Amino acid sequence: MLDAIILEKTKNSPEIILDIENNSFKIAGRSIVENPGEFYLPIYTWLDEYVKSPLDYTNFIIDLEYFNSSSARQIMEIIMLLEKIDENTDKKVKISWLYEEGDEMSKERGDEIKLVSKLDFEIKEYPSEDF
Amino acid sequence: MTTKTIYDFYKLLENDNISFSYRGSFSNNILTMATQLFKENLEEEHSKLKNKLSFLMIESFQNISRYSEKESNIDLDETSEFFLTRNVGDTFYIISANLIDNDKIDMVREKLERVNTLEKTELNALYREVLTNKQISEKGGAGLGFIEMVRKTKGKLPFDFVKVDDKQSMFFMQIELKNPKVDDGLPPIKLSDAKFIQEMVALENILMMHKGDFSKEAVGPMLRMVEENMQNVSLKVHKKIFHFLVEILQNISKHAYPINGKHDGLFQIGFGDNKFHIGTGNFIAKNEVENLRNQLDMVNSKSVDELNELYRKYLREGKSTKSGSAGLGLIDLARETDDMIKYEFTEENDDYSFFSLTVKF
Repeated sequence: MLDAIILEKTKNSPEIILDIENNSFKIAGRSIVENPGEFYLPIYTWLDEYVKSPLDYTNFIIDLEYFNSSSARQIMEIIMLLEKIDENTDKKVKISWLYEEGDEMSKERGDEIKLVSKLDFEIKEYPSEDF
Repeated sequence: MTTKTIYDFYKLLENDNISFSYRGSFSNNILTMATQLFKENLEEEHSKLKNKLSFLMIESFQNISRYSEKESNIDLDETSEFFLTRNVGDTFYIISANLIDNDKIDMVREKLERVNTLEKTELNALYREVLTNKQISEKGGAGLGFIEMVRKTKGKLPFDFVKVDDKQSMFFMQIELKNPKVDDGLPPIKLSDAKFIQEMVALENILMMHKGDFSKEAVGPMLRMVEENMQNVSLKVHKKIFHFLVEILQNISKHAYPINGKHDGLFQIGFGDNKFHIGTGNFIAKNEVENLRNQLDMVNSKSVDELNELYRKYLREGKSTKSGSAGLGLIDLARETDDMIKYEFTEENDDYSFFSLTVKF
């Protein structure tokens, strides 16, 4: 089994969890890294392996408050890698795009990525933390 | 704010290694981030001044809140509180401006004139006297702040009062911190320069301005300051501004033509006609001008629907970086900005041109 990748979030980069054992797949926080290609490279390598023998059901959670346009490209790359599960196996995969209540921009970004993705793709609001 | 404004401000601050101006309501968080911006961006030769500079910036900030009579308000005008820090050559300048009641002017003037004429030993004596005097008046009293500023800089405090009306005036004060280890031979910057800048930023309704090397850790503190400043703004607008700031600032840091190893640029954020205006300026290599101009003209000529389509296409396919094909960032900027992306290239010399850009949301 692939070793889990668990990265804590920083002020410029997101939290990342790729953990088969706990069936947990997630990107959360902000992704405004200046060299996203470099940052996401280990993620691709990992997913490239994973999609060859995925779990029965992969629910990939994307909960990004901000991402720059070069990160948008990288997120799409991740989704396109996950599409291989649909294309090449009989396993299920679903993207859950989460956004905080009132955060229309994150919702719109999700709508747009859903539009160009071929996966089962849900967009879900969660309540705001500060009240 | 126009592309011309960006160019004019850049020229005004051309010799500044770093400068930062802020206009509006002052909070401790803004102060913390402004000091952090300077700490993280100091030239190596000035690094020993770090603590002194932070101390003086804090004193200057507190001075604004101590004497200011301005009621806290999001609508800014020409009498809004103003703060400016610049490093030119071997000297740091910290300027504050705020409204003061006319009937307090004499008291402040007297304190400043006194600290400006005292010798070092007299200053120390005065400091100890004020410190031990229990009958200090309520509002910061005997000018302990002023005494400290003079003791720390070993210089004078230029100041001025500019009458606004029968009740109030704008109070300008400048702190000058010179690096004793370096001598640049440059003429000192006068308080009148700061007054001119204050007038300009008020006229152009600029909230925040930064000029410096954007390849350094400038983007982070700037973003956090803008975030702090946007707390009264709806989440939607806030997000949009933040999103495009990241794009634009990272762009300067990546594409600015390096002069003496620095990716120098200018950034402004302003507010007017119920819109936020963002402007940037930096040098770019002459041989990149045509390509960039083509990209900008291309995205400006397209409708929002066409831009959406192009964006989605590039999202899946990745963009080719060949000439004329804009990146995701530029397409995104073009489809979200009100009106078009305004830009201008001003030829500087045979190697590079000045590129200024403004957008509004």
